[in-house]
Amino acid sequence: MSEYTVVGQTVARVDAVEKVTGAAQYGADVHPAGMLYGKIVRSKQAHANILSIDTSEAEKLPGVRAIITQDDVPSGRRVFATDKVLYLGEPLAAVAATDPDIAEEAAELIKIEYEVLPVVQDVMEAIKASAPRLQSDAAKDGPNRREISAQIRKLSRDKENDHSDEISKLEAALEEYPDEVYYNISAESHSEAGDVEKGFAESDVVVEDTYVIPRVHQTYMEPHVSVASADSSGKVTVWASTQGPFAIRSGIAGTLGIPLTQINVIGTTMGGGFGGRFGVIITHVPAVLLSQKTGRPVRVQMTREEEFIDGRPAPGCVIKIKTGATNDGQILAREALAFWDSGSVSGASIGSTIRVRGVYKIPNLKVDAYGVHTNKSGTAAYRAPGAPQAIFAGESQLDEIADRIGMDPVKFRLMNMREEGDPVPAGANEPKVGYKETLEAVADAAGWWDREAGENQGWGVAVGDWTNGCGPGGVYVSVHEDGSARIFHGSMDITGTDTMISQITAEILTIPYESVTIRRGDTDSAPYSTGSGGSVVTFTMGNTAKLAAEDAHRRILELASERLNMNVDNLELKDGAVHVISADPPKSISLGELAAYSLSTTGGPIVGKGSFARQASTPALAAQIAKVEVDPDTGRTRVLKLVASQDVGYAINPMAVEGQIEGGTVQGYAWAMMEEMQYGENGNINPGFVDYRVPTSADLPTVESVIVEVPAPNGPYGAKGVGEPPITPTLATMANAVKDAIGVRITELPIKPEKVVEALKSNGH
Amino acid sequence: MAKHPVSLTVNGDEHDLLIEPRKTLLAILRDTIGLTGTKEGCSTGDCGACTVIVDGKAVTSCMVLGVTASGKEIMTIEGLASDGELHPVQQAFINTGGYQCGFCTPGFIMASKVLLDENPDRTEEEFRHALGGNICRCTGYTKILEAVLKAAEEVRTTA
Repeated sequence: MSEYTVVGQTVARVDAVEKVTGAAQYGADVHPAGMLYGKIVRSKQAHANILSIDTSEAEKLPGVRAIITQDDVPSGRRVFATDKVLYLGEPLAAVAATDPDIAEEAAELIKIEYEVLPVVQDVMEAIKASAPRLQSDAAKDGPNRREISAQIRKLSRDKENDHSDEISKLEAALEEYPDEVYYNISAESHSEAGDVEKGFAESDVVVEDTYVIPRVHQTYMEPHVSVASADSSGKVTVWASTQGPFAIRSGIAGTLGIPLTQINVIGTTMGGGFGGRFGVIITHVPAVLLSQKTGRPVRVQMTREEEFIDGRPAPGCVIKIKTGATNDGQILAREALAFWDSGSVSGASIGSTIRVRGVYKIPNLKVDAYGVHTNKSGTAAYRAPGAPQAIFAGESQLDEIADRIGMDPVKFRLMNMREEGDPVPAGANEPKVGYKETLEAVADAAGWWDREAGENQGWGVAVGDWTNGCGPGGVYVSVHEDGSARIFHGSMDITGTDTMISQITAEILTIPYESVTIRRGDTDSAPYSTGSGGSVVTFTMGNTAKLAAEDAHRRILELASERLNMNVDNLELKDGAVHVISADPPKSISLGELAAYSLSTTGGPIVGKGSFARQASTPALAAQIAKVEVDPDTGRTRVLKLVASQDVGYAINPMAVEGQIEGGTVQGYAWAMMEEMQYGENGNINPGFVDYRVPTSADLPTVESVIVEVPAPNGPYGAKGVGEPPITPTLATMANAVKDAIGVRITELPIKPEKVVEALKSNGH
Repeated sequence: MAKHPVSLTVNGDEHDLLIEPRKTLLAILRDTIGLTGTKEGCSTGDCGACTVIVDGKAVTSCMVLGVTASGKEIMTIEGLASDGELHPVQQAFINTGGYQCGFCTPGFIMASKVLLDENPDRTEEEFRHALGGNICRCTGYTKILEAVLKAAEEVRTTA
């Protein structure tokens, strides 16, 4: 029996009725009077010099109210391309018109003259000397050259001794790595622990592979949208579909040089985000510029096609990885070299390459990662950014090792998993996390230990780790004369977080969940809140709400103490009333009575304040098992079973937690088996749902979720962030299951039927 | 652009409108009539977010030109609950956690309502295929199917 009455219980969400009746207001549902429709004019070339932009024909179209280019950005910050475009779909101008179809027509009438330049869209081509230089001529050294160059620099700095002999030897050594000069590098990240060369030398088995993970789109169902309204005083109001209204406010301020207090961002109900809804320039800034120019509200809404060509998807990646282990199953060393396809913007996710270390005791680890510019749109976060890619490589290769040494993949993982206090390679020591409990739970639930596989059937397992973020937040809780409580805060609800905040508040105030209501303010009114991404909301806003409710709780006892003339030590808040402890006959006063009484006291109404920013969070593990059947003739893989467990710390709303596990697992499944942004000679060639297939209910079986609870010391009630972990292992889970079914390892995602057929052919089928 | 007279019955209300021939039924519902519960997710008929019921059939309203819908009876998500009472499908989506961000939900609910009107005796597998024209990116579909099966049971027992 739980000691809690509201947290830990499945409850209907606070926004339930508005979500099922169509009443919820999403970005595109905002329609202020006199609103104009914006349309962004986009490059039709993936790489070109811009010779001219001619807007004269478009200006003549009846209904067009404004056309803007980079010349209309007073701050000079880059919003539109001017002399050069770097990808198909890059914004060049924007139009505002009285009707969306007129805006689209006007956009088509704007004539752009291009001088086409050579295009590079493959990371491994982009790093070569022969590739066109996209953003700078600078070259970077690869891992071996990097070490030698560092030694040369060190010796050269020593002016007291003559190192010329050593230096010339080292310079000769550099020549041994001619392929390790990389071009078009946008960022790099390196980490090392122990001595990998020594580790590989001591290993009985060393496996080396290259894994290729495609660029995929977050594919939130609501395309990017904003409505901006600039009034004559200079005040700008933006209705934004975003995960972080405060980040959008500072982004607009920084980009356009508008004072922070002159911008109010109203977060609208969000139609999915998954990390992709933090961008400022995508729609918000053009909407503000168009509104400033026309003096009318303007809506800028992306189409699905625009989402694919100019969204900020998850980066693709090529990872060369090498692992060494002993014959009795001890992993000794791992080395990884990753090239991330950053597109036109520097380096999202590359730091996550370190996730190849997994949750294992790997004494020797070396990770080198590079972000590479290509002629594609920039990338951004997608649910545990970078982790699914790195973990796909790491967990696929673990199965190859287990296979070579003849160990069961679950036992092999359990044997190598870190325990509390173990050192983490290139990290701090391990806290208590339910790694083994979570893997054992999924193995038991899936029937792994007595699994059976028919012809062309296979089983796969993988685990993925992720640690929730933490950020600043503020919450107020007021208690009213009817005994109800009202929460006021500024964080975007991300599929159930407002419900979680309400549950925690009800729990502390000992009132029913139904007696709590919650209101999100805009950036003009609400206390600052961190963006709803990085699985931060439960951890941050949960803790903040708890502090606010506890503050209200203190005031309630103080009021009761005055009212009942009793010391607070003799009082307790229970079932929505303050009781005198061990009073006979019982004596109590309800919250409503205290709230009414508070209105005429010196101390005033019951308002609890919570403010929170930083506490250490604890890693979480997701473990999954899939059973698949592959049709050897068509190459089609059918999922027969998909079981997902997760150490969530503590499930505040179990139904919502299951929903996160199920949804994240299916996104991982899709990345493994279906999704891939494809690029032809001139940019993205599959910008729609017919060619970029995401799963439907017809593609999948029921996902079975298993909740494991090993409390996080600093989480509210022990809770961890639950949104991101479930996507991390699924890519490898699926690849490992397919390998088990067909006997061939597919190292390049997605595992489309044609790849399976090809793999089977290469294996003599 | 020349406009054409279009008469629609939407959720029981009659609307006599003058509409450009390029406007879709979705655009008319959202921009002209102001019923924004129906969502635009792709504009190409692939995601199902704009599903409404036209003369008893589930239709992706982004693929219907408004002028061709004249004289038809249309039901949108706003018209589904009657006398403040949620439809069993709506209630089931709440009870099972069949929605997360909620953007695809109106489309799923309208598509499910038609399936239940036609035949509530489908198996889970049949419902999975029948709902294959609607995309949800949040739930992984497990709880949506739970909702539809629960609503089907409700419809069967009360029918």
